[in-house]
Amino acid sequence: MQTDHGRLPIWLWYAFLCIFWWGLWGFLSKIGSGTANPLQMQILFTLGMLPVAIGMLLHMRGRLDRERIGVSYGFLCGIATGLGTLGYFAALRTQDASVVTPLTGVFPILTVALAFVVLRERLNKVQMGGMLLALASIVILST
Amino acid sequence: MHWMIYAGVAIVLWGVNGLFMKLGTNRVSARSMVIWVTAGFVVLLPWMWKLTTLQGLSSRVIFVGLLAGAVNGLGNWAVFACLEKGAKASVAIPLTALYPLCTVALATVFLNERPTKLQWIGIVLAVAAGAMLSYEPAPAAPKEQVSCAP
Repeated sequence: MQTDHGRLPIWLWYAFLCIFWWGLWGFLSKIGSGTANPLQMQILFTLGMLPVAIGMLLHMRGRLDRERIGVSYGFLCGIATGLGTLGYFAALRTQDASVVTPLTGVFPILTVALAFVVLRERLNKVQMGGMLLALASIVILST
Repeated sequence: MHWMIYAGVAIVLWGVNGLFMKLGTNRVSARSMVIWVTAGFVVLLPWMWKLTTLQGLSSRVIFVGLLAGAVNGLGNWAVFACLEKGAKASVAIPLTALYPLCTVALATVFLNERPTKLQWIGIVLAVAAGAMLSYEPAPAAPKEQVSCAP
């Protein structure tokens, strides 16, 4: 791990924080999905995100970044995630979650490939090995 | 339509999303991204309302679902902040996709679920993957200049 005077880089702490929040999201989804269908859960997730977004807006005192291209990417992120989730749910209607979830869990491969081509990002050999282990782990833990 | 097509749509959209996240945080702040992403989700809301309603759900399930949405939003902020602080998309996206590790840990502690042998393998792989993905050798220290001066 890259260290700055023996400390972890700040981005890594945010990655850990993200793993915690999304992990908690997965845990709560597990509890809620016993009685609610996936689409109902998705509606509740969207409504639940609103207070966080409003909180961020208040914290920024309304100074929301409005750079057109950046906003478009943000907006597309929401639509792409939402539509992807609906595709995932549609697949679940005719196939078991134990098949669909691990399969769709390999999406980071596409991100890595796109980042390689579009952003010219390069992974070192250790990170490449880590990505392969991550994919194996995602597939296993999704079943 | 075959389920594989739907699953393929999910893979493509989620995969492309990882790129959009990085491109977006290159231009606007992480907090602004959370707001615009939420707006993208809200656009889909009327369509989802047409397909289902929340009738019949207990207040407990509704509360849990809303809480899940809120923590998901916080997770979105954290991944945007991670990218904003310089993480590569090709590192941050596979790394944060390891979140099921945390879900399994929480289910073990609070729901008394016991990980299967296969899940234990997945947990070990996830921890190793996390360490390897976050490995970036520190830049080499500049070589001392050899001076010809006496």
